[in-house]
Amino acid sequence: MKRQVPLALCFLFGIAMILTQFSPHSYSQGVYREVINWSLIINPFALILAVATLIQTHITRIQRRTEHWQYSLVVFVGMAVMVLIGIPFGPRNSYFEWLYNNLQVPMDATMFSLLAFFIASAAYRAFRARTFEATLLLITALIVMMGNVPVGDLIWNSVLSWIPMEDGASKVRQWILDIPNLASRRGIILGVSLGVISQSIRIILGIERSYLGGGGD
Amino acid sequence: MSKITQCLIAYLVLCLSIGTAFSQGLAPPSNVTAVDTPNDDGSSITIKWDAAPEGSGISGYQILRRIAGSGLEEVGGLLPAGSTTYVDSTIEKGSAYTYIVRAVTETEATVESGETAPTKGTGEWFHMGKIPLFFGMVLFSVAILWNLYDARSGKEIFVRRIPGLEAVDEALGRATEMGRSILYVLGLGPVDNVATIASMTILGQVARRTADYETPLLVPCNDPIVLNVVREMVKTSYLDEGRPDAYNEENIFFLTDSQFAYAAGVDGIMIREKPAAIFLQGQFYAESLIMAETGNSIGAIQIAGTDSEHQLPFFIAACDYTLIGEELYAATAYLSKDPMFLGSLKGQDWGKLVIFAAIVLGVILELSGVNWITTLLQRVR
Repeated sequence: MKRQVPLALCFLFGIAMILTQFSPHSYSQGVYREVINWSLIINPFALILAVATLIQTHITRIQRRTEHWQYSLVVFVGMAVMVLIGIPFGPRNSYFEWLYNNLQVPMDATMFSLLAFFIASAAYRAFRARTFEATLLLITALIVMMGNVPVGDLIWNSVLSWIPMEDGASKVRQWILDIPNLASRRGIILGVSLGVISQSIRIILGIERSYLGGGGD
Repeated sequence: MSKITQCLIAYLVLCLSIGTAFSQGLAPPSNVTAVDTPNDDGSSITIKWDAAPEGSGISGYQILRRIAGSGLEEVGGLLPAGSTTYVDSTIEKGSAYTYIVRAVTETEATVESGETAPTKGTGEWFHMGKIPLFFGMVLFSVAILWNLYDARSGKEIFVRRIPGLEAVDEALGRATEMGRSILYVLGLGPVDNVATIASMTILGQVARRTADYETPLLVPCNDPIVLNVVREMVKTSYLDEGRPDAYNEENIFFLTDSQFAYAAGVDGIMIREKPAAIFLQGQFYAESLIMAETGNSIGAIQIAGTDSEHQLPFFIAACDYTLIGEELYAATAYLSKDPMFLGSLKGQDWGKLVIFAAIVLGVILELSGVNWITTLLQRVR
């Protein structure tokens, strides 16, 4: 019974939600919006549990004096400040906004900007011309990079002037992106789409039960 | 200026406007019809009229509407000269409307069509434009179901080798031998995301093995609901393997729901804990390479898998093994060897075969100048 009720609900709602995609009637769309709203309501309740585990994790770290336990204090200070300002005064409060814009946004931006360096290190490893495939990748990447900068066409026109194609760097780059790159991406998308449908059928029929918190009955 | 002079000027302007209209052959918009917009929820009416002949001097159209018994009101502003259709999406459901199309010239002379018959907007229960899609979905579902139940008969199903999944045991064995932990990252997808569900299923299989090997399994979560489901799931796997004592709930914890803070947190765990094996399975965005490169820098064996095609090159460059797109969904069948799961894989392959045949046939037909297959696919919305 513990498993059968969720499985029956999953089957009913799964079929109903599929049918709403084929029915534009206002009743059908109303059902769709209502179910989406229900799912949104569940999230705040689960967040309470998540925050409780977060507090529990960091209290344990402080108690056990694990490595870098001092950072757990920073978590509590940050949480307390944001909660004490955010809950009584709301998210539009000037202090709350200042903390968000001057602490969280710059820290997020810092992490994001690290991506540039990680791309460089990953590209260095991937483009080392040790095999035929890696060499092909290196040549393709060089052309795409050349096509992306204005000076690329200038270099093409002066160095490769014997090739009867003006502004070839940007043209070849566009061809690589539009034909081989797009074709392979679409192949992946088609496979993913079929995989998603197959997985969804398994979930609706109750064959796939991992979302219930366990594989067995 | 006397009143007579003002009247004379107004009369002349009026004559000039009418004269201009007639001299340009301005005819009222013809064949004006108003119909309930097909395949909608009944919130719009479509008005159509014939295109004005070239050189008619028409600079645009105005749409006037009326609910029975009330005055005319203009909707939609001035439409361009070439337009022949207008969809009125501002109607009240259940009310009947009549429409007039007014042609406007550059000199602002106007001429109006006759009033259409009263029309109501009604919602349709089935979107007729989606019939091919519906049949495609039904056929594909039937193919999967057929193979699911065929698999129950015990027929052996061949599944091609997926190196990324074969390396799971190698990664877990390595972590056990080194006495280090395993880090499992589920990505940023919520619990209703299919990639997250696929990732959770793989985690269930990984947890069974870590329960056997007694290797610590760390799972930092980004979504509160995912956290609770994952805790239950890993606990069940440990119970199924008869090792409930080895399950440590503290190892599955909520980190944050902020994208880059999550990436920073996971990177921190990698640097501090130095796990021997890292699984990056699920839905990822820009943080994918930040995590994969950090994992690479600590020398961990990394097995990634995602259906986000933009992140795949990053994983391929930075990880030891990558499950590309659909391989993520095939992982459950591959690892569990459950006939029902394997059957669904075969059904997927049937779908791919049909799509491949349609592409080849479409290319041949297009090259031969026959384009009905392209037209059919373009109609699917």
